[in-house]
Amino acid sequence: MVKRIMQLLQEQPVAVAPPVEQTEEVIPPSLDHTLDQFTDCADLVHRSFPKANLDVVYFAFLVGNDEFLRDIAMPFSDVTESEAALRLTQSQYMPVNNSKDCIKGILNGKAAIFFQDVAFLVDISHPIGRSIAQSETETVITGPHDGFVENLVHNLSVVRRRIKSSHVKTVTLEVGEVSKTIVVLVYMEDIVDMSFVQMLRDRIQQIEVDSVFETNQLVQLIDDNPNSLFPQFMTTERPDAICSKIVAGRVACFVEGSPSAFSCPTSFFEFFSSPDDYYQRWQLGTALRILRIIGFLITMIFTALYVSVTTFHYEMIPHTMLLNLTESRSKVPFPPLVEAIMMETTIELLREAGARLPSKIGQTIGIVGGIVIGQAAVQAGFTSNILIIAVALSAIASFVIPSYLMSASIRLIRFGIIFLAGILGNFGIIVGVGLVVIHLSGITNMGTSYLTPIAPISTYDWLDTFARGPFWSLRKRPSQARTNNEVKSRPRK
Amino acid sequence: MREKLNWFHVAILTYMIQLDVTLFSLPRIIAEKLGTNGWIGVLLLSLVGILNIFLYSLVHRMGKGASFFDIVEASLPKFMIYPLYLALALFYIYVGSILGKSFIIIFQIMAFPTTNSMFLFLLYCYMMYCMLIKDIYSISKAVTVFFFVTFWLGGLTFYYFSEWEIVRLTPFLFKGATEEISLNSWTDIYTIFVGCELCLYLFPYASRDGKWFKGVYIGHIFITLVYVYVIIVSSGFFSFHQLKAMSYPIIDSLAFIELPFINRVENLVFAFFMFSNVTSSVIYGFASLSAMKRIFPRMRKNVLEFVIAGITFGFGFTAQILRETDKHVSDAMFVETILAFSIPLLLIVLLLIQRLRLQKGSERA
Repeated sequence: MVKRIMQLLQEQPVAVAPPVEQTEEVIPPSLDHTLDQFTDCADLVHRSFPKANLDVVYFAFLVGNDEFLRDIAMPFSDVTESEAALRLTQSQYMPVNNSKDCIKGILNGKAAIFFQDVAFLVDISHPIGRSIAQSETETVITGPHDGFVENLVHNLSVVRRRIKSSHVKTVTLEVGEVSKTIVVLVYMEDIVDMSFVQMLRDRIQQIEVDSVFETNQLVQLIDDNPNSLFPQFMTTERPDAICSKIVAGRVACFVEGSPSAFSCPTSFFEFFSSPDDYYQRWQLGTALRILRIIGFLITMIFTALYVSVTTFHYEMIPHTMLLNLTESRSKVPFPPLVEAIMMETTIELLREAGARLPSKIGQTIGIVGGIVIGQAAVQAGFTSNILIIAVALSAIASFVIPSYLMSASIRLIRFGIIFLAGILGNFGIIVGVGLVVIHLSGITNMGTSYLTPIAPISTYDWLDTFARGPFWSLRKRPSQARTNNEVKSRPRK
Repeated sequence: MREKLNWFHVAILTYMIQLDVTLFSLPRIIAEKLGTNGWIGVLLLSLVGILNIFLYSLVHRMGKGASFFDIVEASLPKFMIYPLYLALALFYIYVGSILGKSFIIIFQIMAFPTTNSMFLFLLYCYMMYCMLIKDIYSISKAVTVFFFVTFWLGGLTFYYFSEWEIVRLTPFLFKGATEEISLNSWTDIYTIFVGCELCLYLFPYASRDGKWFKGVYIGHIFITLVYVYVIIVSSGFFSFHQLKAMSYPIIDSLAFIELPFINRVENLVFAFFMFSNVTSSVIYGFASLSAMKRIFPRMRKNVLEFVIAGITFGFGFTAQILRETDKHVSDAMFVETILAFSIPLLLIVLLLIQRLRLQKGSERA
């Protein structure tokens, strides 16, 4: 029995199967095979040019009319076979040897040309989607207002236009067995630590999933701690933010069809900075960063502190405030924990409803919610005035955090801390905060510490983390980027 | 890239391990054992602590960074080693447990007189478990954050400056102790520096060049300064006789703080010190884990950590009231002080024997 228990407790050696080499069969592209693959696809177009003895296959809704006219209709209408053969030697007509590549090309908006047992692909795709517009989730007061869109080409062009350097390199990858989503890594060759690029490339290539449609979906498939509540990659819809990350020696990644890009390695404190900070005087930027950290603390513990004080530690309330508080609490039939959880849930319901509804109706929800959770709830004896102030302050403070994902994570954690405060008072709050810190200390991003620059300590980086130092003081790139090219600016002479 | 503990994190670890529940009664203990101006005695004892650290740095240098276990295993037979490891592991768990329980009981008396202290201790052990299952680098990261979370609390002492008077320190040196000052008084006080000896278990995780030992010295000097500062602030705030009469002068002095929006911050501030207490328990647990891993090298992930947290909780039952925890802490710290000096001396002897053997071997060859 003891032996059996010991066996269970001991680590079992894991048998590693030798890698099986898979050889893929190469099928030469042919018109029949291609048409066979796309049976029952009503949007597939097959056009023949009998004089030139040439067939073209493409998806009607993926190609552009102008592109079709330029590369297919005009060159091959009314030409002989020998003339067509001559035109197909032009560089835009790429010969393909594999049927799989041919099908993939058609799915990507290319036209497949079948001519004398040889297949060619020509890119006549026409991107559709909205043009560059302002990001609605990451607005700034000063600074550029353009945001990424769902079109990968647009997004990359925005980056190229901002960083005009031949050192900006890109790597194209594909994710999703079915969706075949294109993912592009962007980095500065002479600044980035190439091990990050390699690691990111490996992780993306190892993903085995049917489809990926969004950057925030992709990052969850490659992060170091998939069970953590905290976002581990900095995602943004702002080109200026992503360009500054690239220049700082981080790797950026774009996903086709997603209006956001992510950068890595990322630290926890990055989520508290906004591009705005750099566009204002450094004193103002610093004040804003400190305000956000205060906002973070308020979001985490303010309501919990109310619950703790009103449940266990009345002695902490100054006697000048005590009368008002007791009077306000006297009409409420619920214990502070239930009262706080109810109000926090109501706020979350309002927030979620406001986010899902069109902006005009969303405003109405705000007004209705303001009345319901404000005056009416107090008059009905559902809650105390002071709790409303605490809950409202926590909610407002949570929106100070620029990253929506981080703000949402913190708001969820707050419920746990409120619960602990309700059963164990200040001790519960401290246990809650301690558990969050312990959890954060175990998180890594691309092998680097999530708590950089506190742990491992890098006091120089504090200037651009807890404050926004004046530009003359921000001479080095962040230590987390592990770049060999550390210096980013020199003092003015 | 494999991380290494650098001197800064080692300094913070050393400081946080030594900062535990004894801080709150320190001014009273000093007044009882050494009498007036006992802070000078703390400075003197700190030099002994430095000597202790020097012994460990000597072990590190002589053993070229080899771990405690490697040194012992190279000299002693296994049938002797395993019982030794087991005893050491259990003792460390006991120290960590009793430090935690002592903190919990004080907190229970202050804030939750009707709650079972074991319930609070269960949460404490859970926190300890959550830290233990992480590697030492992650532990050091958490401890660094805990340091920053607690360090600012020292700023609260500015509140007492208007009431602080140098005259209360008196011009007398070591007068008015409860009993005559003896070796026993000094050893009792030295226990406040117990904890830095755990640097022995960090050898494999730090650089071999030993530069990180700078961190152990800095951490120790820093905690000495904090102790001296706390004693001076308390001695100038309370009278000497008041200090001797109060169980926890620091907690009583915190109760004095009245801010416009918050009063009686002592139980909030005291709760913050749980971080440093948990750190002490975790590092003792880590030392125990290192020993246990030698006995059970193939154990499944997190099993040993769970066992350690479980035994820590179990040891909590041995002391249910404050008088008992005080007695246990005092006894445990006394044994730990003996171990803190005897272990490096033993290791130095073993390393010398190993060196002699090597020399003889090379001469024969």
